[in-house]
Amino acid sequence: MMTPFVVFWTVMIFASIAWYGFLVFYVGYKGGGEIIAMTKEFKKRDDDETKR
Amino acid sequence: MHLALIDWVIIVGYLVGCMSAGIWMRRYIRGVEDFAVAGRAMDLNLGIASLAATELGLVTVMYTAQLGFTNGFAGATVGVLVAVAMYLVGRTGFVIGPLRRAGVMTIPELFQRRFGTKVRWLAGLFIVLGGVLNMGIFLRLGGEFLVAATGMPAHWLEWVMTMLLSMILLYTVLGGMLSVLVTDYLQFIVKGLGIVVTSILVIASVGWHDLVQGLWHCWQGGVAGTGQTLNAHPFNPFHASSFGWGYLLWQLVFQVAAVTTWQTQISRVLSARDEMTAKRMYRRTAFYFVGRFALPGLWGAAALVYFSQHGGLPAALQGLPANEASLRATPAYLGLLLPTGFIGLLLAAALAAEMSTDSGYLLTWATVIYNDLIAPCVKKPLSPAARLLITRSLVLAIGLFLLVYGLWYELPGNAFDYLAVTGNIYLASVFTLLVAGLYWRRATTTGAYAALVLGAIGPITFLVVNLVVMKVQQLGVHPPASPSLVQEWLLHFGQSFPDVKPIKPELAGASSFALAFLGMIVGSLMSRRPDESALVPQEEIA
Repeated sequence: MMTPFVVFWTVMIFASIAWYGFLVFYVGYKGGGEIIAMTKEFKKRDDDETKR
Repeated sequence: MHLALIDWVIIVGYLVGCMSAGIWMRRYIRGVEDFAVAGRAMDLNLGIASLAATELGLVTVMYTAQLGFTNGFAGATVGVLVAVAMYLVGRTGFVIGPLRRAGVMTIPELFQRRFGTKVRWLAGLFIVLGGVLNMGIFLRLGGEFLVAATGMPAHWLEWVMTMLLSMILLYTVLGGMLSVLVTDYLQFIVKGLGIVVTSILVIASVGWHDLVQGLWHCWQGGVAGTGQTLNAHPFNPFHASSFGWGYLLWQLVFQVAAVTTWQTQISRVLSARDEMTAKRMYRRTAFYFVGRFALPGLWGAAALVYFSQHGGLPAALQGLPANEASLRATPAYLGLLLPTGFIGLLLAAALAAEMSTDSGYLLTWATVIYNDLIAPCVKKPLSPAARLLITRSLVLAIGLFLLVYGLWYELPGNAFDYLAVTGNIYLASVFTLLVAGLYWRRATTTGAYAALVLGAIGPITFLVVNLVVMKVQQLGVHPPASPSLVQEWLLHFGQSFPDVKPIKPELAGASSFALAFLGMIVGSLMSRRPDESALVPQEEIA
């Protein structure tokens, strides 16, 4: 029986699977870049402190 | 055990990668600011990964899957409400905007500026008690998932979880928030993959149409099998048999309070590079919270349909109390469903879920203890090295406490009520202080004390009332042959008030918040107007 509630949950569940799948790759790619940038920032800070 | 070599390779590979990355980050720690809030260098996508990873633990998977097993898809409604709350807060910047601009490390630190050191200390105590006690159930429930999914002997649970917590402690103590962020990132990916693959396999195995039809049959009582009949409407959360309007309205308010107040979530806001990053992080993570409930809920609903069509629950779960059987049904189903290689991925995802939540929580509560309970009492400023050492020791101490309290010590029967109450004390009082402190210039220290006290009295009163009512009802069904003095009093109470019923959770929760706000308003209006110089500047709030 396809009531509006069944349709709603069907959309929510399939959209969640799609969103999780998208985030794994998108955040995986972008987040990896941010970690590299963050560690470079910390390294530069430490180098500057050492020079001083 | 159902594990093959490929499963072990996946699990060990994940653990080695995670530990190495976590320990590697210790080299960048220079002080408490790096250790507690990652030097406020966290960008958007790392924030999304960390927030999502911390808030989706194994304990969450267990509960949300259980909701799917007992309430069908409608069990995921709370996830939709969390997503709405997250999006609204991310859109408006309500509480999180001024909190990030204030540049504090913890919520109570902000209270010191508005209400003084003693309020900061008391609020810090409430936060730590509520948070640490809440965390006490994580290890055991996470272990039960692993036992049910792998089929490993039940007496291994304590040792496996002790080893897992030791690994978590190692990288959290060494690298603090920097290690937590990087391991959260890896755990987010492993967990996301595991959840997506498991959900697709579940749907492919049962079939979407058959799953929906199976839930209707369970609801209408058309299937045989022990514990296989749904007592709540599987799709309509507003139906009288399901949550109902009152509970859902209350949950929306509660979730707004939770996403603006729960310190583990707020610690990501405070670690963000700036306010804009924090708000975008909330908006983009919002829909993740639908899946946090809906996808494990899907597994729970599929477990119900599967067992209802295969002669009822497996032998190991039969004879257990209904609550425990429904809690363990989903991991048992996944253990039967997933093929070699996929069970390894699911277990790696489960370990990732447990590790990301535990590490984030350990760090957060240790930071509050140092920053808000110890630091205000120290007269002479400590050196950065001493501050770091104390915070690291606190992470270790909380870990040891959790081992004893949450794993090796059996919680008493009504511990879950107790934990719900401690969480309510935290949220009702701290949310009131935050909102009043940030948005009401007339709020005073007296009002803050009144809110803290009334916010605590309310939930404790409801706990006691419900305990009395439950005992009265039990004694009414099974009257003792020779009642004790207390039992006599309870029987007399039951005869005097024959229609007495337990207080509903939505009424208890809403009243706790109302009492805390009432305390703040009355206490503030009855005391002297606050000094203008003590107020958080309006430009920080606007």
